[in-house]
Amino acid sequence: MMDVFSALGHGFSVAATPLNILFCFIGAICGTLIGVLPGLGPVATISLLLPATYALDPVGAIIMLAGIYYGAQYGGSTTAILVNIPGESTSVVTAIDGYKMALQGRAGEALAIAAIGSFIAGCFGTVVIALLGPPLAMMAQKFASPDYFSLMVLGLVSAVVLANGSAFRAIAMIFLGLLLGMVGMDINTGEARMTFGLIELSDGINFVALVMGFFGVAEVISNLENVSQRIVNHTKINSIWPSFKVLRGAWGAVTRGTVLGTLFGVLPGGGATIASFSSYALEKRVSKTPERFGNGAIEGVAGPESANNAAAQTSFVPLLTMGIPTSATMALLVGALTLHGIAPGPTIISRQPDLFWGLIASMFIGNAMLVIINLPMIGLWVRLLNVPYRILYLVIAVICAIGVYSVNNSSFDVYMTIGFTALGYILRKLDAEPAPLLMGFVLGPMVEENFRRSLITSHGDPMVFLQRPISLALLLLSAALLISIVMPSISKRRQEVFQE
Amino acid sequence: MKTIVQRGNTDFYSGLLLSAIAIVALFYIRTLAIGTVLDMGPGYFPLGLALILLGMGLVLIVKGLTTAGMPAGVVHLRPLFFILLSFAAFGLLIERAGLAIAILAQVAIAHFASRESTWRVSLITGVILAAMSSIVFVWLLKLPVNVLP
Repeated sequence: MMDVFSALGHGFSVAATPLNILFCFIGAICGTLIGVLPGLGPVATISLLLPATYALDPVGAIIMLAGIYYGAQYGGSTTAILVNIPGESTSVVTAIDGYKMALQGRAGEALAIAAIGSFIAGCFGTVVIALLGPPLAMMAQKFASPDYFSLMVLGLVSAVVLANGSAFRAIAMIFLGLLLGMVGMDINTGEARMTFGLIELSDGINFVALVMGFFGVAEVISNLENVSQRIVNHTKINSIWPSFKVLRGAWGAVTRGTVLGTLFGVLPGGGATIASFSSYALEKRVSKTPERFGNGAIEGVAGPESANNAAAQTSFVPLLTMGIPTSATMALLVGALTLHGIAPGPTIISRQPDLFWGLIASMFIGNAMLVIINLPMIGLWVRLLNVPYRILYLVIAVICAIGVYSVNNSSFDVYMTIGFTALGYILRKLDAEPAPLLMGFVLGPMVEENFRRSLITSHGDPMVFLQRPISLALLLLSAALLISIVMPSISKRRQEVFQE
Repeated sequence: MKTIVQRGNTDFYSGLLLSAIAIVALFYIRTLAIGTVLDMGPGYFPLGLALILLGMGLVLIVKGLTTAGMPAGVVHLRPLFFILLSFAAFGLLIERAGLAIAILAQVAIAHFASRESTWRVSLITGVILAAMSSIVFVWLLKLPVNVLP
């Protein structure tokens, strides 16, 4: 226990340097900004800012990128409550009761509870990372290559759970992603694979070009299809200081949402969106007066907003302890770590204590900053919604182009983005989600390496994956997860959750 | 507004797309050494993946032909074409004509992607973007490109 405190102290000494506080602040501001603006998610933003972090040291870079992710959870709730537009998918349920509260003149109350709940949940989730991280990483260090292979299978299956729509197509997207991940030099022989004879592809497909095409530019094109609506803010914000009575009413929901979100974040196939939906359902069930839900129940804001923040925080656990991303955003952070020369895996905590504890400490600082950024500056964020999309899309397009170019200073990467945008746009039209593809792409080389290594050590016996207890348990868990998706009753519920 | 309304459903088209990609991949994997389970060559794992992808693609095609599924979304050609063209212009011009020209060209082409854009707004946005990017990326972040030709 003392170790954790001294380590955290060390973390604060890393995170509290003026430069790292600045990075944390930039991340939090960017996160809030994209959280407020609909149509630009954390995945696209993180990939946009990825090239800009090359010049930074890895700790500062990760602090900033993480700040974008959890900052977006705060920002998303603001617009959900005030104008009924959830900036992020994680705030969709917040809009149900939050906007009703705003119409009743209780916007300030709802915003304050959302921010306070988010803060409490964010801090709790961070404590969980600090406590859970080191022992989990110790455990993961005992993993051999078959165990790793099975762990990645579990990570990939979890991407199917997260995907909206047909599970079969989501699995196909994973295989497509894995195949794209194979492009480039073979690690064992150095032979070029599927490079179409292009030297530019020998290092593999540029990660930023792929992400920007799929998540950034394809999104812009989809947004341009519809006529943009002018957003008018009808609601007035009353005092942002909630009364004692409101706090007491929300307290239970915040606590339940925090615990639920913490669990969902750590679990494969969990994540912030599902956590917020589940929390709303839970609050409705435990409430003595469920009829208030949908008509401005404070619990309907407090629970989901706490849950999504707790989950956003604890979804870092699988990434930092085992190197396994559980969502598209986390997959991006794997890419970011790799670009900075840090191999994601169980050795991060022992080899990069500055990174791990600095990041955790920065999360406390970041969450505190976010409350300050969000509450008094709400008016400013809402005004941002009035920036017309006909300006915004030009800005996004230009920044995407410069961002992709600056990774390797190569025009080839810009052309590659064009290809991935077209592919991403078509897949979108075919109702195939890009997130599983990204997970497959990021994990592809690691999956292959561990698969090959496993079979070499087992002298070609594929039973090795079932003989090691850890590997067997992980594979069984993946199978159970997969069956639960395919089972009609559960998949129907999953659709309901997404359609709500 | 130009649109292609596609007949058929998402399963059929995604199956077609995935199979096509798998076949292209298989064509390029053909030259790689496959090896055996004990001594896997560079082609072993990609071959497995491509074959699975091809199988899944074919299943989707059959499913799409035999069952009535969701219709595919409408492809809007106008934003797709102009946004992609604007990126091509940026890529072509950045090393030949400098960052400022590349951005202005990109904005000028991307302008046509939206039905709501006006020349005045796009022009101002383009000029500000060119100026800001030159300051931030070339001057502050030291991106090794010229601002002007």
